[in-house]
Amino acid sequence: MASLTPFSFRAGKSALHLLDVRCKFFIICLISMTMLKASLPAGFLYFLILMFLFKKAGLNIFSTLNSIKYFIVLLFFVFAARAFSMKGDMLFSFYGMSITKQGVNEGLLVAFKFFLVMLTGIIFSATTKPSCVKSAVQWFFKPVPFVPEKRLAIMISLSIGFMPVIALQARLISDAGKARCADLEKNPVKKIIHLVLPLLKKTFLSADNLVLAMESRCYSDDRTDPEFTPSGKEILFLAAGFVIALSFIYF
Amino acid sequence: MPGKIIEIDTVCHTFADGYKGLKNISLSISKGEFIILAGKNGSGKTTFLRHLNGLLLPDSGKIMVNNKNVSNNLVRTRKTIGMVFQDADAQIVGDTVFDEVAFGLENLKFKRAKINKKVSLILEYLNLFHLRERNPSTLSGGEKRKIAIAGILVMDPEVILFDEPFSNLDYQGTIQVLKTIIDLNRSGHTIIIATHDIETMICEATRIIIMEDGVIKKDGKPHDIVKHLESHGVKEPCSSRFGLGLQPWLP
Amino acid sequence: MNNSKQLKMTVYTSLFVAFIAIGAFIAIPIGPVPIVLQNMFVLLAAIILGPLWGLACVGIYLLIGLAGLPVFAGGTSGIGKLFGPTGGYLLGYLPCVFVTAGISKALGKKLSTDIIAMVIGSLIVYGAGVPWLKVVTSMTFEKAVAVGMYPFLIGDALKIIAAAFIAKTLRPVINL
Ligand SMILES: Nc1ncnc2c1ncn2[C@@H]1O[C@H](COP(=O)(O)OP(=O)(O)OP(=O)(O)O)[C@@H](O)[C@H]1O
Ligand SMILES: [Mg+2]
Repeated sequence: MASLTPFSFRAGKSALHLLDVRCKFFIICLISMTMLKASLPAGFLYFLILMFLFKKAGLNIFSTLNSIKYFIVLLFFVFAARAFSMKGDMLFSFYGMSITKQGVNEGLLVAFKFFLVMLTGIIFSATTKPSCVKSAVQWFFKPVPFVPEKRLAIMISLSIGFMPVIALQARLISDAGKARCADLEKNPVKKIIHLVLPLLKKTFLSADNLVLAMESRCYSDDRTDPEFTPSGKEILFLAAGFVIALSFIYF
Repeated sequence: MPGKIIEIDTVCHTFADGYKGLKNISLSISKGEFIILAGKNGSGKTTFLRHLNGLLLPDSGKIMVNNKNVSNNLVRTRKTIGMVFQDADAQIVGDTVFDEVAFGLENLKFKRAKINKKVSLILEYLNLFHLRERNPSTLSGGEKRKIAIAGILVMDPEVILFDEPFSNLDYQGTIQVLKTIIDLNRSGHTIIIATHDIETMICEATRIIIMEDGVIKKDGKPHDIVKHLESHGVKEPCSSRFGLGLQPWLP
Repeated sequence: MNNSKQLKMTVYTSLFVAFIAIGAFIAIPIGPVPIVLQNMFVLLAAIILGPLWGLACVGIYLLIGLAGLPVFAGGTSGIGKLFGPTGGYLLGYLPCVFVTAGISKALGKKLSTDIIAMVIGSLIVYGAGVPWLKVVTSMTFEKAVAVGMYPFLIGDALKIIAAAFIAKTLRPVINL
């Protein structure tokens, strides 16, 4: 799973690591939402702040960029589509397609904003333990009616636990298939079935065992709430978050 | 004469497909016993253990734990009798070792401060404290098994059931787990271990029960039973076979 | 007993959340384009878990992605992805799983009717994904369909047939 998840949690002791996860989550949402209205200078300023936080959190920006290279390619298409399709002052043209100044500006801005939102998400996942994410989700859903937030939290941790198991099993099954010349199978439907069916059967069987294990440890929906440990810097970060959000809206 | 903790009276269990898993089982278990439940694959060991923990209920007959009927006192039974499952991976619920061990206490709605204290104590007792922030699924087989034991122990059970506790463990892992189990027995816990390989712990056991086809075939002291093992499909320990009596397996 | 059943559904649903997440990373090499299994697991979740648990399943998947866990394709996570160019497909899983499960249940969970249910469900995903792609990238509609739908249709057909057979064999094993 490690190879599948470039941005999973990295242990550390930076201010961001220690920040109360609810506060961190709120700030991330605030910034990502207001980002839509951000101007280029405000976005760039925020980019600098992000770089500073990356460094503080002990993350390497280059390896990060490398691991999201596909996303960056996608952003290039977003940019190109805008650049070609906007009407305005022509910069140059070839084969009947023309690139406009407005298009380039607009395309750059949109792609840049997506990029910033992505970096924001990365810094959050890199500095937040999955178990804290689960607790925060539980806390935010507490006031929401019809959502059993405690069961939700359990389901989140169960599914996080299943992921590496499934990834491992998938590899084993595919290797076992190769050892028996499954590569020679030409029928694509059979190919899918031969991988997925044993995978599902195996994992459902271990899920049955998990059900028993949970029952034997007295599982109940009515459980102790998670605890949060504020670091004392929440007010500071909240204030900074609001300043950034306001600067996105008004500049 | 120590008090009886478990009393089983003519218990039968038939599975949904009509297969008779247990047939007229009657026995009683005293505090502090160290019991090996031996028998070949499919003899009904797991089925029997699950009855003690209330995960399966008898069709006829009854099981009393501390003079309370299991069928009507599931939570109380599961607090008194903890169960460590055969498949160490399939019983992991939490995404850190600490959360994993805390799971049972959270289900019982203990206060957070109390949970933290108890979990830390148990982790220290089992020499697992340094692993508390780790993801349990990334640990070694022996460590996983010990964490499963910690998750049970934290709920202060009187009896601990182990289903094949040494399967998939290497020599080191087996020693680790076996020592833990012996310590638990010395500190007053009643131990019941289901296995088809009794060599590792025959010296510590106070009693051996042999099952076959859902029936109890032999029940008695290790010395008296050991020569009957092979006729019921269980391997006799080497030392006994070579006429050296029962030798401790631990170095 | 009822409690037991609910716990079982809770665990199974979590298992499918994990399958949907991992499905974004499991690719089977068939022809030039490897086919990715994520949407197949969404369809399977629908016809095996039923409408409500299925909806919960996709909802939780999106939620943990939104909350910053790296479960979206490409290892990327969070709001950026969900509202990015391909976000429409992800959000489309919500109505897809509900409708597919509803149809499958109403028509009696047979092999043929499951296929119909899954075809409709897949179309719903494109119904959400393609217009979204068009708006975010300002492509023309024709182009968005050409890039964001046609290349995947054959793979989808194969996945739907496979999923129908898988569900047929799996249902008795897990007897819900
Ligand atoms: N849910 C079930 N439905 C039908 N039969 C079952 C079920 N669970 C177990 N059995 C059958 O009951 C018998 C006893 O199974 P059990 O798991 O208790 O054996 P065991 O002694 O633990 O074996 P092993 O050493 O392989 O773990 C087996 O023949 C098994 O096929
Ligand atoms: Mg067994």
